[in-house]
Amino acid sequence: MPTDRDLILRARRGDAEGREAFGELVTRYQTSVFNVCYRMLHERGEAEDLAQEVFIRAYDRIHTFDIEREFGPWIRRVAANLCLNHLEGQKVTAELDDERDADSAQLPESVQEIRERSEQIRGALASMPAHYRVVIELRHYQELSYEEIAEELKIPLSDVKSHLFRARKILAEKLHASN
Amino acid sequence: MHLTEEQLNEYLDEATTERAQIEAHLSSCEECAARLSTLQNVFAELDSLPELELTKSLAAPFTLHPSLPAQLPKFLTLTAFLQAAVALVALIVAVPFASALLPQIELPSFTKLFFQIQTQWTVWLDQLSTFNLPTFQPINLPTLEMSSLLFTLAGVSVLWILGNGLLLRNQMK
Ligand SMILES: [Zn+2]
Repeated sequence: MPTDRDLILRARRGDAEGREAFGELVTRYQTSVFNVCYRMLHERGEAEDLAQEVFIRAYDRIHTFDIEREFGPWIRRVAANLCLNHLEGQKVTAELDDERDADSAQLPESVQEIRERSEQIRGALASMPAHYRVVIELRHYQELSYEEIAEELKIPLSDVKSHLFRARKILAEKLHASN
Repeated sequence: MHLTEEQLNEYLDEATTERAQIEAHLSSCEECAARLSTLQNVFAELDSLPELELTKSLAAPFTLHPSLPAQLPKFLTLTAFLQAAVALVALIVAVPFASALLPQIELPSFTKLFFQIQTQWTVWLDQLSTFNLPTFQPINLPTLEMSSLLFTLAGVSVLWILGNGLLLRNQMK
């Protein structure tokens, strides 16, 4: 079986065979990329569309990819960033969420009605502003250090910490309240 | 002095240099131990989230052969079949007619041909109105065959336009 590196080198040729080699990479990483998008967006159709977008963009820029890096972690970080940009494009909702967080630790009613715990967790994540969601994603699911997150999002280290700690506090309150 | 939120978070993230001091405080302070436990629960909840499966493959746009429509719609297959059948009938009708007519053709002018067709058409219409099939005369045979040929040709053309027109429209989508 070809390594990721082999497939990337083949994909770089840009011909039909290269395209197919990239398709193989997509097959390897599509589920993990989709799950990043789904945790960030909490909407299946939207998450699948964004995940598709991640791979199309990655293919267009495959010649700029540093072959010494690992493809999986890289593509998942790209996905988290793309979802963040997507969510920030919907500024109004994000700001409303921010305010709701400030004065209410309760989950929205619709989420409370969903019995499954994982849905409660996803709902709690989705109710937070985008910049909180993305630090949770990068720290807990992509296992990046504070410094790596700061570099990835191009924000100060102090912001990474305050967003992350605040996000966890909100999650603790919401999940405890719905327990 | 209790532990700060930052200390608790950094402790769980394994991003602290004061690990020993924090552990010493946790072992002697129930309140901070409880706060740590609450935070640990959040970590566990996040870890518990299952991975979901995709409903479609995202590799499709990158596969070598773009997926072809698995099968043509039934009515299109039917049109093609009808085309073939009618064309066959037209051929059967045309062969004796053509063999009979071919020696007669001596560079006919178009106006002459049209005139001929028109005459034969009116003759045929006339025949149709009187409709005396029993008084079928051998001399009328070419006239009948000419008109039936024209009809079958028209039929083939209509079906051809229908079938291929639809096929082309499908391709252009
Ligand atoms: Zn304490």
